[in-house]
Formats: sequence, C-alpha cells, structure tokens
Amino acid sequence: MSEHRLKTSLGRAFGAAPTPARRAARWLDRNLGGSSILREELRHIFPDSWAFFLGEIALYCFIVLVATGIFLALFFHASQAVVIYHGSYHPLSGVPMSDAYSSVLDLSWNVRAGLLIRQVHHWAALVFVAALIIHLMRMFFTGAYRRPRRINWLIGLSLLLLVGFNGLMGYSLPDDLLSGTGLRIAFSITESIPFIGPTMATVLFGGDFPTTGIIARIYPVHIFLLPAAIAGLLGAHLGLLWLQRHTEFPGPGRDDRTMVGSPMVPQYALRTTGYFLLLAGVITAFGAWLQINPVWLYGPFRATDATTSAQPDWYMGWLEGAVRMFPGWDIQIGGFLLPAIFWPAVVLPGLIFTPLFLWPWLDSLALRDNRFVNVLQYPSQRPGRMAVGAGFFTFLTVLLVGGGDDVFASAFGWSLPVLLRALQILVIVLPPLVAALTYAIARRRSERWLVS
Amino acid sequence: MSDDARQTHAAPAPSGENGAPGGHGPRGPGWVPTWPATVGLVVTLVASVGFAVSFIRDASTQWLGGFLAAALLGIGLALAYWGRDLAGDEVISGPYPVPHEDAEGRAALGDALDQSVQVITRRHFLTKMLVFAGGVFVLSQVVLLGALGPRPKNSLRTTSWRAGSRLVTFDGVPVTRDTLAAGTFLVAFPEGHLDSADSQITLLRIGADPHFKTLAGRESWSPEGYVAYSRVCTHAGCPVAQYEDQAKVLVCPCHQSTFDLMNGAQPVAGPAGRPLPQLPLAIDAQGNLTAQSDFTVPVGPGFWDEG
Ligand code: HEM
Ligand code: FES
Repeated sequence: MSEHRLKTSLGRAFGAAPTPARRAARWLDRNLGGSSILREELRHIFPDSWAFFLGEIALYCFIVLVATGIFLALFFHASQAVVIYHGSYHPLSGVPMSDAYSSVLDLSWNVRAGLLIRQVHHWAALVFVAALIIHLMRMFFTGAYRRPRRINWLIGLSLLLLVGFNGLMGYSLPDDLLSGTGLRIAFSITESIPFIGPTMATVLFGGDFPTTGIIARIYPVHIFLLPAAIAGLLGAHLGLLWLQRHTEFPGPGRDDRTMVGSPMVPQYALRTTGYFLLLAGVITAFGAWLQINPVWLYGPFRATDATTSAQPDWYMGWLEGAVRMFPGWDIQIGGFLLPAIFWPAVVLPGLIFTPLFLWPWLDSLALRDNRFVNVLQYPSQRPGRMAVGAGFFTFLTVLLVGGGDDVFASAFGWSLPVLLRALQILVIVLPPLVAALTYAIARRRSERWLVS
Repeated sequence: MSDDARQTHAAPAPSGENGAPGGHGPRGPGWVPTWPATVGLVVTLVASVGFAVSFIRDASTQWLGGFLAAALLGIGLALAYWGRDLAGDEVISGPYPVPHEDAEGRAALGDALDQSVQVITRRHFLTKMLVFAGGVFVLSQVVLLGALGPRPKNSLRTTSWRAGSRLVTFDGVPVTRDTLAAGTFLVAFPEGHLDSADSQITLLRIGADPHFKTLAGRESWSPEGYVAYSRVCTHAGCPVAQYEDQAKVLVCPCHQSTFDLMNGAQPVAGPAGRPLPQLPLAIDAQGNLTAQSDFTVPVGPGFWDEG
C-alpha cells in the first residue's frame, strides 16, 4: 500500500487528521505491532490510595541511586594502593592513605557537585530501605501477601535483603576508619560460623584481615552484581504486579473480582511522575543541607586506629544492637569454639527472616484459607496478625535502640551497663506485652466492626 | 480485559478554559485553580538557571543542591497537582484477572510437559549419565572459589611476636624499662612490624599495685610491673582503645566490651566472652622490653577451630 493511500485510509478510519500522537502510534504498529494490547494497557487500572505510594518511593530511590552512582563511579578509585594526600582538605595534607579514600576526599572537596551527588546517593540509600520496610509493613498488616501474591512477597523480601546488603557494601567503599571497622566486624562474624567460617572469611576477603584487595573486590559487587540483581527482581516484582494488578481497599463497587481506580494514562502516569520528581527533590534537599558520612572527619582506615562510638547506617542498627546486647557466651566444644557473636549475627537474622519469608504460607495454614483475594483487610480485622506484627516490630525496635546504647547513655547521662541490662530485659519482655495489648485493642475494634 | 467490561463512572470532563490543570470549567463542581501548577513550573524554570549558574560559579553544595532540589520539587509539584486534578475526572472499573481458571489449558500443558519428559527419559542410561555428568560439572566449578583467597593455615593463630622481639611505640622507638611511670600505658608493636594489625598490644605499667592479680603460670610474664595485653578485641576484633584509669579497665569502642586489667583482662561487661590474651614480657640486658614468645593463644575474635 502506498504511503499516500495508507494515510488517507487511516484518516478515513479514524476520521481525524494525523496528529503527532497518531503518527507515533502508526510508527509503533508498523515496527513493533501490538497496538491493541498497548491500547488496553493505557487503561490499566490503578486504585487511588496513598498506601500504594510506599512501594513507588522505593522504586524511585533505586532510580536516584543508579543515576548518582554512575556519577560517583566516574571518580571513585577502587584501589588500596597507598598515596600521600595533597588535596584541598588541609587537615589531612601529607597523610598516607589508600587511593580509594583519597578519591572520595577528592569527590567531596575537589569535584564540582561531587559532595552533593555523594550525599544524595547516601540519603537515597537510607530512604530506600526505610521505604521498603514501611512498604512491607503495609503488605503485612493489610494481608496483601495472600494468594495470588505470595511469590511477590518473596521477591519483595529478597529485595529488602539485597538492598540492605548493597548499602553495607556501599559505605564500606570509601575506606575510611568507620567503613574499615565495619569490614573488620564482618570478617569476625564470618569467622564465627562453625566448620566453614574461618575458610569462608579468608577466601572472601582474600586473606586474614586486613587485606589490601577487599575494596577492589566489593566494588564490582556494589556497582554491578547487586544492582543488576536488584533491577532484575524489581522487574519481576513489577511484572507480577502488572499481571495481577494492585490490591484495593474495600469500598463501593469493589470486590475480589472487580477493581476501581484511575486509568494509567494520563491520570496515574502524570501523578506518579510528579511524585517521582518530588521524591528526587526531597532527597536532593537532604543531600544539599544534611551532612551525611563526612569521611574526612573519620580519617583513613588503619587497623590500629580506633573509632569513637562507631555507628553503622540505620538499617544495620538492629544487627548492631543484637551484637551489643547478646551476652558473651563463648562455648568450647571439645577442641572447637563457638564464639558468642555467632548467635546474634548469624542465627538471629535467620530466625528473623525465615518466618518472614514463610509468612504467607504460615498464615494460610493457620487459617485454613487458601482462596485468592484482591480486596485488602484493615489491620484490626485480624487481631492475631496485628499482635504478631506489633510484637515483631517491637522486638526489632528494641534491638535498634540497643545499636545506639552508648549514644543514648551519654546523651541522657545514664549508666551504660544499666541501660544495657534494661534493654536485655526489654527485648524479651516488651514484644509479648505489646502483642497482648495490641490483640486486646484490635479485638475490641474488630468486634465493633462486626456489629456495625 | 476488554473494553466492554469496563465502566466509566464519571465521564471525562471537558478540558478547562486555561489549558493545563482544571478540567471542570472555571466554577463547576470540583473546580481547582491552576495557579499552583504554574507556580511550580516557574520555580523549576528559575531554579534550573540557578543550578547552572551556581555550578559554573562553583558555589557551595548548599546552593547547588538547593537549586537542584527546588527545580525537581517545582515540576514534581506541578505534575502531581495536575494529575491529582485529573484523578477525579474518570474513575473506571474492570475485572481482576482470575488465575487457574483455565483448567483445560492447564491439563493440556501438563500432558505436553509429561510427554516431553517421557520422550527424553526413554533413554534411561543417557538420562542417568546426563544427570551425573551435569552434576559433576557443576560441582567441579566450585574449585574456582579457590582463586579468591587462601585457606587460613596459621594466619589466624599467630602474630608477628617472636621470642626476643623488642617492643616499639607507634613511632618505632624502642620501649625501655624507664619508658612508663607506674599507672600509665602506651600502645606497642613488635619491632619491624609497625601497624601490624594482629600484633598491637596495650602495654601498662602496674608498678607494685596490690590489686593486681598475677594468674597462675604467668608469674614471670610481668617484669618490673609491666604487663602487655593484645589490643585486638576478642569480640569482633576492633582495637580495644579506651583506657579508664580509675577502674583500670580497657573499653572497646565498638560494642563497649570492658576488660579488667587487674585480673588477666577478663571481660567484666559487654558482649566479649574471652579475656584479652596476655603477652609474656621480659627485659633484656640493655633494659629494653621484649617478648618471651608469641601469644600462647590466638588473639582477636574467636573462630571455630581455635579451641
Ligand atoms: C541498591 C542500590 C545502591 C545502594 C543501596 C547504594 C548505597 C551506597 C552507599 C550507602 C554508599 C556510601 C556513600 C558514602 O560515601 O557516603 C555508596 C557508595 C558508592 N556507590 Fe552506591 N548504592 C547503590 C547503587 C549504586 C550503583 C548502581 C552504583 C554505580 C553504578 C553505585 C556507585 C557507588 C560508588 C562509586 C560509591 C563510592 C563513592 C563514595 O563512597 O562516595 N552505587 N553506595
Ligand atoms: S569488637 Fe570489641 S566489643 Fe565488639
């Protein structure tokens, strides 16, 4: 068919002039096909609720991280070769340090916009994990993990693990005193694993700590391996979401078979692009005005220098707290040693994440309810689940507080050993108490629900 | 999902008088003014220029980031506001996809897969060989891990201390019997191994303090009131750097493990489970402090085959 005849026949078919949009549609159809599917998907339904924005925050943080990370990677040197510093930060002039640390100093003090991008990158990581956790809580308390979304619950949890781990890798890169201390502790934790621990530690680190190749080793993990895995899982997560569609809160016209909301184009697309830019703006403002990880104050890593009150990024705080609060029960078994740190740093994370991963199945087993659902529950509709969740997050919160026990003790003038003992008691006593209280309250609310 | 299945609850309103936001006519129900979106876009315009100018003039992080943030917030606000305005325009509904409805298809898929499996496994011997060879192949690739690093051998058990190693300070200056007054301390290394992470020690001169407990078997380890303990925390390996003079304890800055210097550096608070190993000291003919030997137990955090 000639160009001209096609044009006129199209024009006749749509009774309209060939606008740019129509021309684009024609180009797409001739080159890729699938017009009617695309037409359908433009009307993809998005329920209107603020709760669905939580996952989007996480997605947008990832975009910000990749964009800023690429900028950082252009300047960062993943090498521990010793150099003498002569940059603009005069207090460290003439100090021997690793090339990696010196390149981060240059990024912060000599590269234009470098400090801004570094701080935006770090803030985006902090907000990312927070968004993922709040997103997870929303899924948990509204029952969004039920069939057919159990696989997506698994993917989401895996994302949380990978992102947290990649954050840890990221703040280990600058090779400052704090990051080196973190790696030191990571080595010790690996060493504590029965049988394979010592070999695993020296194999992973390339020798006994401190090794000279560890930064070069975690660099590709941080900028390629884990981001690629995260991008893949995000794709799967969103792909499943696209196929299964969002859940929805109960409301008129909504049930497990019918959903109500805005069409993707233009309403939803416009709004969510706006939200993305708003989030990027807020994180940029953090990066501009709220100092984060001022590595020049910590100095370069040296295995013989000590940090003062070292604190990891917030999302590692629960682990830090567990490591601080667990008593020093080193156990000798025959000719072997089971170091105390094995329990809080290896066993406890397993105990926390295994039931989380299994939760959708545990839940459906407990209720003998395996139906597929699309309508969410309000949290108090399920007092038992609410109690479990409240107890669980109380437990983690006490651990998180424990991660800063020295800071709290000195800020409030408390005795550290007393505070530590109090936290050790609270971490056991408080979760069941909070769970019981939550159960009672949710029970009363749900009864009122049933009556009305 | 087909179009017929959808219902539009509210028809799209005609677009507003002044273009952009406001899809409900100037004073109709749900009318929203357009000026916030306009303001947002103006902010973006100004801030973008501000960003470029402050970059060129090498302004501070606060200015640069402030402009960039304002530019993003302005346009973000405009779009979010605009989209929110449109959101009320059209509410649509449609069916959820129903999984596992296609029982026939599922059965057909199962049959097809089953057949393929049968076609392949008809060759019993080949199938077994495939599984076997494939498994061995995968396992054989594990050796690649060996390229990553050495097995621990003795590196976790030994330090650079040898019989006769002289103690030197951070600056490499030898420590003599006169270096410390009673009640003071310093950080020392074996000569020639400055900055050696696992060999760092805290050297303390107790003097003739009656509270100091000499442990059995260590009677000769603290000549003239000098004692030395490993400075690597037995909890997770941080340098145990804080010395508290009053309590005569060392505190680790990482998780606040506290070691009693008067009693074999036993842990008295915090998460550490084992004492800091003590280095047996001697004083040579020139009055220099030396080690009698390496530590008698591994220093630092515990590991499985340490015991
Ligand atoms: C899941 C995504 C990511 C997370 C959670 C994350 C987190 C972090 C954190 C917390 C830091 C320390 C920043 C600081 O110095 O204060 C960091 C450093 C760094 N990141 Fe990422 N990052 C992510 C993805 C990426 C990607 C995709 C790239 C590159 C393409 C990248 C490149 C870098 C580089 C080069 C550094 C070292 C420079 C520096 O420390 O300033 N990151 N990352
Ligand atoms: S490393 Fe010293 S207390 Fe943990």
